[in-house]
Amino acid sequence: MNGIAILIVIMLPILGGALLPLLDFDARKARMYYVMAIVLATSVLCLSLISGSEGTQFVLYHLTSTIDIAFRIDRFGSVFALLVSVLWPLSTLYAFEYMSHSHKRNRFFGFFTMSFGITLGVAFSGNLITMYLFYELLTLSTLPLITHDGSREAKVAGVKYLVYSIAGATAAFIGMIAVLTRGGSLEFNVIGLGSAVTEANRNFLDAAFLFMFFGFGVKAALFPLHGWLPTAGVAPTPVTALLHAVAVVKSGVFAIGRVVYYTYDAGYLAGSIVQKVALWFAAFTIVYGTVMAWKELHFKKRLAYSTVSNLSYILFAFLLATPQGLTAGLLHMIFHGLMKIALFFVAGAVMHQSGKTYVTELGGFAKAMPISFGVFTIASVALIGVPPLCGFLSKYAIAVAAVDEGSVSGYLGIAALLISAVFTSMYLLTIVVKAYFPGEGFDPASLKDVKEANWYMTLPLIALAVLMIVLGCLPGGLTQFIAGTLADAFPGL
Amino acid sequence: MTNVYTLLKITDKLTLQFGSDPTGRFFLCLVTIMWILVGIYAQKYKEHQKHNARFFTFYILTWVMLASLTMAANYLTMYLCFEFMTLLSMPLVLHNGTPESIAAAKKYLFYSIFGATLGLMGMFFVNTYGTTLAFTAGGVLDPAKIAGHETLILWVAFLSIAGFGAKAGLFPLHAWLPTAHPVAPAPASAVLSGCITKAGVLCIIRLVYQIYGVQLLRGTWVQMALIILALITVFMGSMMAFGEDLMKKRFAFSTVSQVSYVLLGVFTMNETALLGALLHAAYHSIIKDGLFLCAGTIIFWTHKEHVSEMKGLGRKMPVTFGSLAIFSLGLVGIPPFAGFLSKWYLASGSLSEGLPVLSWLAPAILLLSALLTAGYLFPICIHGFFPAEGEPEAEGKEGSALMLVPILILAAATVLIGIFASPLKDALQAAAATMF
Repeated sequence: MNGIAILIVIMLPILGGALLPLLDFDARKARMYYVMAIVLATSVLCLSLISGSEGTQFVLYHLTSTIDIAFRIDRFGSVFALLVSVLWPLSTLYAFEYMSHSHKRNRFFGFFTMSFGITLGVAFSGNLITMYLFYELLTLSTLPLITHDGSREAKVAGVKYLVYSIAGATAAFIGMIAVLTRGGSLEFNVIGLGSAVTEANRNFLDAAFLFMFFGFGVKAALFPLHGWLPTAGVAPTPVTALLHAVAVVKSGVFAIGRVVYYTYDAGYLAGSIVQKVALWFAAFTIVYGTVMAWKELHFKKRLAYSTVSNLSYILFAFLLATPQGLTAGLLHMIFHGLMKIALFFVAGAVMHQSGKTYVTELGGFAKAMPISFGVFTIASVALIGVPPLCGFLSKYAIAVAAVDEGSVSGYLGIAALLISAVFTSMYLLTIVVKAYFPGEGFDPASLKDVKEANWYMTLPLIALAVLMIVLGCLPGGLTQFIAGTLADAFPGL
Repeated sequence: MTNVYTLLKITDKLTLQFGSDPTGRFFLCLVTIMWILVGIYAQKYKEHQKHNARFFTFYILTWVMLASLTMAANYLTMYLCFEFMTLLSMPLVLHNGTPESIAAAKKYLFYSIFGATLGLMGMFFVNTYGTTLAFTAGGVLDPAKIAGHETLILWVAFLSIAGFGAKAGLFPLHAWLPTAHPVAPAPASAVLSGCITKAGVLCIIRLVYQIYGVQLLRGTWVQMALIILALITVFMGSMMAFGEDLMKKRFAFSTVSQVSYVLLGVFTMNETALLGALLHAAYHSIIKDGLFLCAGTIIFWTHKEHVSEMKGLGRKMPVTFGSLAIFSLGLVGIPPFAGFLSKWYLASGSLSEGLPVLSWLAPAILLLSALLTAGYLFPICIHGFFPAEGEPEAEGKEGSALMLVPILILAAATVLIGIFASPLKDALQAAAATMF
């Protein structure tokens, strides 16, 4: 029964989205109710599945004796599903207003809704092959969202995204096949490679790991494979916010987490040379992303580079291959989702209300858009990592995990985190200062036409701000939920 | 810490806790008194500036965070208050809205956040290698856990202490201070220089005595390095002040130098030196607030900002310049004014510690710096009261009571605390004793 429920929760938005162009709503309200109903139903169903049906496994069919399409609800996937099913309705609400003047709204909301189901498919996959399937589908379903406005720039960004993503997924696929050929299991209910790990196989498996790490690293925007992400910022803001800060990029991170803790295991990686290499890349990306964000003046691109940096926080935590690393990474996956989507929503609100796209043009905006910039300030301070806001906790957890792990690569990562914190304050607080204190010579009349967006856009912002504060002060329930992954990934613990 | 109150339990290890101990109470009293006096002064000075509602909002919020900082009972709470104090005091620096002041505010912000981030790094390691994050006399590190990791822990201690030193203007993270303090409105400069720098000092006291512990640090390269940094700062600050013509900037360089006197005492790590440090923290707050308020008064009535423009001004503004003279005598450390006793304890504490070279080098540099202090402060009063022959008559007048009364109270304090030194000294001696 519950197996069917997994299928329903995945297929409902996919079919619902696919049908949308056929239904061809003329009235804006009608489409809104339809899309919202599907998204909310999916979210509610998904949350009830997470809370009640953990451990459900379900094989749809066997492709071969070793490859099957299977679904599974475990805590690791549930954390990801929780994140997207909370953020999707908020983003959809925001998108209604943001896209209200756009063309081809049926197409947009169709693909937007389909992506929800596909992302849940990634979360609830029972093995790497199934996950790979949804992972590729996600690339395809989000492509039309990137190219939505039809400009040349958007098409170029779309092609770039496609090439990067497919190439990455292919590399990951090679890694998967390599693991299979040596007798490893890709099922997530089997932790580790088991008897496949022998002295003779070791180098081969190391190479396979790197293939998967860098392959999935494309979506996780790992340097030097991150190039598509800032370019994809031409997409409408709900897409950049939800997909390029949460769903798509975190699918990459999530996949690497699966590879590290489920396909391989912590014992295999701990202390190995591949772990070091991967950690160094993550640490470097943390610094690289944050410096690029600081140099970038385009508002959304700045945030995109900030995402590049923050995704590698999560990768870094995962790659520590310790229980603390796993939980710290998941915590940052959730918290970064909340913070970054809020920041993007503000950038989008500014674009929507005033057409301004560069951070240098934001002088005095805080007075014109008080809610947006209030939330922006909270999210900025949270992302820098000031307690008692949520970003502090996850950064703290990552750093403490690195201290406990105690290797030189771990300390390198701590240094990267600290450097990044300073740059984060520089690239975000300059915006805050500019918006609140434009200084002398500022003409308030220049902003008299700029107003706060309506509640479709401000309500999600306020909800996110509340979450950032509440989860920062009282993270107990969430951390306990996340700690549930340990029983799975560290059976001996 | 007594009367510990838990505001919020974030996780088992991370809690927001406040409590009180003699050192914290001392800093709390000090900053609160200063805040009130400067606040009274600002009621007149505000005629000079716009956006007063905003100014006083952030003025009070900064005090709230600073006061919370003095009562923070653990590392996390202290870090939180420290960061928010930075964020909330930043608008005071950029209040004038000129491009320079906004640039200065950002410089202040990023230096402070950089320092705080280094400080935060300490917490990561204390979390693992310590037994608790709560401030405990003697330190919280677990000897069993740090065995074999001493080099690492010493580096962490050094970096995190130097990080919080950014707020106290410790070389090499001092550069924001002479940029940010002069551009702020005079009341803000006064509390920034007189009080907020002390927040850095308090954080360092907490780290040295109540987190890492004197046991661990005494006699190590970390202690040496920190003392050397403090001495460099003392000397460099005085030299820079000596060569600076802009009055508020001269005072800001003087702050760089003087706060490192306090840090020198903290780093010397014995009771005498710590007593000297706490005394000097009090004296310097009183005197530096007074100096900045005098500078503010002069700017308010005459718009003169450079020392070289003040020839003969003392005859028009005798009360202001008279007070300025008292503050100068105090800061140089001429008995019986406040400022003598603290240096006495700092020097004798250093001599009794027996560190190679540094034990006698420190008093020598203090002495040299005192001479420089005389060199950069006395000429202001001398030229103010005794202009050279043929100087044109200066324009200026004495201000309103709102501005003069706080200055006179501070000047009186400088004299009285110097003459009747024992109550404060005894109280601080008790406070210093609780740290060991």
